[in-house]
Amino acid sequence: MTGSNRTIVYEWLRHDKKFPHVWCPGCGLGILLGSLVRALSSSGLDKNRVVLVSGIGCSGRLPVYVDTASVHTTHGRALTFALGIKLSKPDLVVIVVMGDGDATAIGGNHLIHAARRNLDLTALIVNNQTYGMTGGQFSPTTPFGSKASTAVFGHIENSFDISALSETAGAAFVARSTVYHVNQMDNLILQAIRKKGFSVLEVLSPCHTNFGRHNRLGSQVDMMKMYKKQGVPVKRWEQMSEKERLDRIPLGVLTDRDMPTYLDSYAEVCRLAAGMREEGKI
Amino acid sequence: MPSGKAKSPRSGRRDPKVVIYPAWCKKCGNCVAFCPVQALEEDEWGFPRLARPEECTSCRLCEKLCPDFAITVGEAPVIKGRSAEEPAPRATGDRSTVDRRHSPERVPPVLEHHRDEEESDREET
Ligand SMILES: Cc1ncc(C[n+]2csc(CCOP(=O)(O)OP(=O)(O)O)c2C)c(N)n1
Ligand code: SF4
Ligand code: SF4
Ligand code: SF4
Repeated sequence: MTGSNRTIVYEWLRHDKKFPHVWCPGCGLGILLGSLVRALSSSGLDKNRVVLVSGIGCSGRLPVYVDTASVHTTHGRALTFALGIKLSKPDLVVIVVMGDGDATAIGGNHLIHAARRNLDLTALIVNNQTYGMTGGQFSPTTPFGSKASTAVFGHIENSFDISALSETAGAAFVARSTVYHVNQMDNLILQAIRKKGFSVLEVLSPCHTNFGRHNRLGSQVDMMKMYKKQGVPVKRWEQMSEKERLDRIPLGVLTDRDMPTYLDSYAEVCRLAAGMREEGKI
Repeated sequence: MPSGKAKSPRSGRRDPKVVIYPAWCKKCGNCVAFCPVQALEEDEWGFPRLARPEECTSCRLCEKLCPDFAITVGEAPVIKGRSAEEPAPRATGDRSTVDRRHSPERVPPVLEHHRDEEESDREET
């Protein structure tokens, strides 16, 4: 059970930022911001141990509002900064917030290699299926056939499945939720933060201003109702037939495995090297 | 510690305390659309309003689905040792709109010395 927003807002939002925030009315990013601060508050973590890192985009604005240490980096490079922070100060809890364009287009290479290395980071990837901030161009997660400001006749590329990609690349924890399933999202963020190893949480979030408008999906309320209809718990998804799965999205924990993290293996290398030095071999 | 002991007549649960903060509300309609018991409705300006308080179950879904922290559910936080006339402190200078009571214009704080009175009032009714 998480605390009320009434007390959490004062404790976890930055007092020198202008509210209401910059996002469009109803944008799912605000719901994720609430979820993140509730999860942080119930994690019991000391604020001074938490670092939020983001790239550029509407989603990149999120850490700016949270009263922890934060680094607002360049487009696509959030993970590289996060990696440096974690390696130099392993005690810090590093959470990276990225958009779908940020994480899978310009930063796609960083995502797969961060997953492969299994460094203890948490990546929150906001999937609004478009480049929100720059006006609704298609991103690597824009579905085939849907419209974008750069795909007026319909998109002719297939899309990435962010969760499947992270899983195959080697992430220790992969989960998916939507901003409509907010209670689930609160819990999954907490689980992702607590997990040792690279954890990815893909959050489907409506960008009604761009993706919704181009595809005539209505307001964010309509888009969230769509998520409600499409979302099914992974357990049920596993029992569904191919036909039933069409237009449905599995939600919940998709992968949770224990593997040595990069820092574990690195500590082992340091121990071996120190031993050899003592023996005078190097 | 929540102090509310009053029961709503219909559900028998704790009295709901839904507060809307118009200065942060962007009138997006999430809260009204997703309240499971349709306790909220839009007022003439498009802001949400607790139209059917007796229906509200304090489930806090409106609070969680509000992208702007503009609707909250729960008890008003207690402010220790401050008199009712004293203005709320600004967090960091005049620009800040974040206040311990989230936010000055909206939740009248329950001052500590009033809380006991409130509690005894409640027990009588
Ligand atoms: C190196 C670089 N290339 C391009 C841009 C322009 N740019 C700014 S935001 C953005 C896309 C953001 O999309 P996404 O990451 O999906 O985040 P969203 O706005 O949808 O949350 C781009 C391409 C940039 N700022 N820097
Ligand atoms: S453009 Fe889209 S992603 Fe950006 S704030 Fe508006 S609705 Fe949200
Ligand atoms: S707390 Fe729940 S029942 Fe009450 S107004 Fe909010 S959404 Fe409706
Ligand atoms: S969800 Fe929040 S911002 Fe949207 S109408 Fe309700 S109170 Fe206002």
